[in-house]
Amino acid sequence: MTQAQQHLPMLEARDITLKFGGVTALANISIDIGHQELVALIGPNGAGKSSLLNVLSGFYRPSEGSVRFEGKNIGRWPVHLVAQAGLARTFQGTHLLPHMSVLDNIMVGRYMHMKSSLTTAFFYYPFAHREELAHRAVAEEILSFLELEHLRHHPVGTLGYGMRKRVDLGRALAMEPRMLLLDEPMAGMNVEEKEDLARFILDIRESRQIPVVLVEHDMGVVMDIADRVIVLNFGRKIADASPAVVQQDQQVIAAYLGVHA
Amino acid sequence: MSADSLTPQTLPQWLLHNAANHSDEVAQRYKRNGIWQEFSWADVRDEVRELALGLRARGVQRSQTVVLMSENRPELYWAEWAAQAIGAKVVALYPDATEAEVDYVLKDAQAVCVFAEDQEQVDKVMPLMSRHAGMHTVVWWESGGLWSYRHEGLFGWDDFKALAQPIAAEDALWFEQAIHQGQSQDIALLLYTSGTTGEPKGVITTHASLLHNAERIGQTLQLPPGCEYLSYIPLSWATEQWVGVTLGLIRPMRVSFAERPDQIQEAIRELACEMVFFGPRQWESLAARVHARMLDAPPWRQRVVDWGLHIGRLARSEQMDTARRPWWVRLLLPLADALVLRPLRDQLGLLRARIVFTGGAAVAPDIFRLFAAMGVMLRNVYGCSEFGLITVHQGEQANPETIGHLALLPSAWGEPMQWRLAPTGGLELRGGTGFAGYWGKPEKSAEKMNGEWFQTGDAVGQGPNETELIYYDRVEHMSCLKGGHTFSKQFIEVRLRFSPYIREVMVVGDPSRECVTALVNIDGDVFGRWAELQGVSFTTFTDLSQRPEILTQVASEIAQVNRTLPEAARITHFVNLPKELDADEGELTRTRKLKRDFIEQRYGCLIEAMYANQAKTAIEIPIRYQDGRSGVLRADVAVGRIPQLSLQEN
Repeated sequence: MTQAQQHLPMLEARDITLKFGGVTALANISIDIGHQELVALIGPNGAGKSSLLNVLSGFYRPSEGSVRFEGKNIGRWPVHLVAQAGLARTFQGTHLLPHMSVLDNIMVGRYMHMKSSLTTAFFYYPFAHREELAHRAVAEEILSFLELEHLRHHPVGTLGYGMRKRVDLGRALAMEPRMLLLDEPMAGMNVEEKEDLARFILDIRESRQIPVVLVEHDMGVVMDIADRVIVLNFGRKIADASPAVVQQDQQVIAAYLGVHA
Repeated sequence: MSADSLTPQTLPQWLLHNAANHSDEVAQRYKRNGIWQEFSWADVRDEVRELALGLRARGVQRSQTVVLMSENRPELYWAEWAAQAIGAKVVALYPDATEAEVDYVLKDAQAVCVFAEDQEQVDKVMPLMSRHAGMHTVVWWESGGLWSYRHEGLFGWDDFKALAQPIAAEDALWFEQAIHQGQSQDIALLLYTSGTTGEPKGVITTHASLLHNAERIGQTLQLPPGCEYLSYIPLSWATEQWVGVTLGLIRPMRVSFAERPDQIQEAIRELACEMVFFGPRQWESLAARVHARMLDAPPWRQRVVDWGLHIGRLARSEQMDTARRPWWVRLLLPLADALVLRPLRDQLGLLRARIVFTGGAAVAPDIFRLFAAMGVMLRNVYGCSEFGLITVHQGEQANPETIGHLALLPSAWGEPMQWRLAPTGGLELRGGTGFAGYWGKPEKSAEKMNGEWFQTGDAVGQGPNETELIYYDRVEHMSCLKGGHTFSKQFIEVRLRFSPYIREVMVVGDPSRECVTALVNIDGDVFGRWAELQGVSFTTFTDLSQRPEILTQVASEIAQVNRTLPEAARITHFVNLPKELDADEGELTRTRKLKRDFIEQRYGCLIEAMYANQAKTAIEIPIRYQDGRSGVLRADVAVGRIPQLSLQEN
């Protein structure tokens, strides 16, 4: 990375508009995400937070506007190419394979980096064997990072919700992303699980030095860990500033409390 | 002093010895990334060398103090040996020590360097660094959360080992030379006492003492070389220092470390350890796990397991009592073993366990018998950090009532070991490597000595055979009778409560009385069912408690416990209380501890009747009902007598 690139935002979304028929989900939204930033995306229900995340990760095509990730215009790329470019995400709820073990679920995240074909893997060529070992080593590192070693061989379906969310995060990490998008990682968790996950998110940012974008409802968590907060309301961006500033913003207060500003 | 000057005199010398004679053999295993990673003795020596040179590079001197704060893992052992290699002494702290405890030890031991496992431990130490002038180095080995920590004295594992390179290049033999300067009388450790009575004290432990104790453990248990051992007892305990660290070196054993502290049970099973040490609570929880798993099983499988355990009990009860085994039990045992007992041992990871310990407190005889039925004999072990190993169950049989056979074997270290009972009933010892004193507290050390004898402060008695001891209580907790005989109420009550028929019991006896008596609160539910099976009719608890059949049964339970007691401390009379002891009436605390003074006053007439040797007496007790009304309970209470044991029975 050159010095010049360091100063540019890693991800730039310009004038994103997203329409479903006559409904405008997102209207003219522009955001930048810098290197190593921890950005929270908040807003009342239906504000368009998940839609924006889906646009950034390539699940929705924006009706207008562009998304540039590390200088490449990824706005219209198919999902798997966006993932290969280094953008990993987790979903609201969990999209895991319940009958497979924690380890296997995380290994799925390595798929993108695997080179051996079905045939070479089936006949277990020496290079396929070596590759498997290397991927397993990465997966084990993630298990140890997320403190999941003891559940390595447990089927994901038998785990509690909080643990499943952690596995989901592990799978996203297995992709070795250069940017991580988390969609409501703490929904439905108790306070202790939230604290654990907040700790992991901070640790990810610190150890991997990658930016993290997080959609979250829990204001306490957001205000504690985010460097910057972007607030959406009815598909529009109404604030984009540090947590302290956002907390004082009249428009934000109005959006949350329903008072006319 | 060892007679043979060629044998290693310190732990690091043993390490060099093993690295030379067993260089490729597996010394340690650590489960990382789901796989057991192996370290040979040569690997361990190389790791220890780097650490030792790192310590030297940081200016740690001979006889200074290095503190360890970590869960058990190979690096913890390496750090200990590295510090000892350069002649420094080691203090191992519990990983969950509080900041105040760490602060106290850093000051008391004048620590200069700390090995801290991870962020949790580093966070405890760093704020203290400025407070302790001599403290200059902290080394961590788990980077999680520490990426952005910056401090001139804080080193990551790899950075710390890198400090060794210039010295290694310049003076290749320094490490070996430093080790050869070590002598058996050098201080290896300070073992801090728990500090339940006053401030914690650091027990000075020399290499000689470690080697002496490990040798005695090795001799009494006849452990084979290469024996499999899982290290999970904290290094701050003398036990782990004797067994894992020292015996592991001199036998040598293969010492393994679980992936996480909560993975110990799985690790024991995977390794099929030959030696297992658990506290009584852990054995109880294992037994509870067996019961819980059985409840989930279909009824026919439960019956098979019950049958197998029943056969196991009959066949192996010999180890407990002198009951003869019937011939058909001998015939069925192999079948029961194949169907039930062996799979149970396998599930609990005890398949190869030959030497299985418990210690610290009394284990209920039921738990002892359950494991004995499975074919696993629990052995009690007893010792203290000041003087070392004192007793351990040896041979093929273990009596759960005793704390084991005296393990004062002759050895090349020091005078022959001797023991005696002080008039107070306290155990006193001398000989061996002895008690070297508390660190920086000569007056406290002097208090422990009675001339040449070391006072353990534990009141013990002799078991059924001369060489076994029974632990009663701390000397200061013993009660006294008129004749000057001492006894422990606690000891008798705990043993009696192990009986399923007895829910609570209070033992009475003080300097104004000549003998010991007991107030028994029978277990109404158990006796209720028992009475139904025996065809004994009863109406209320009061009625049930005074039935002659039940008095006989309670008397026989007490007689069992009496066998383990010295003649003067045996219970002579007892009464069954006509009502249950109740916290609402102030007879028990909310945590179900006896309120002795109140009970003694309330049931005073029963106590007098026992000491007056009456056959029965009448009592009136005011009681309060749950709805707030009060009434009076009137009952005739019979006094039970315990038949005196003949000498044969003893």
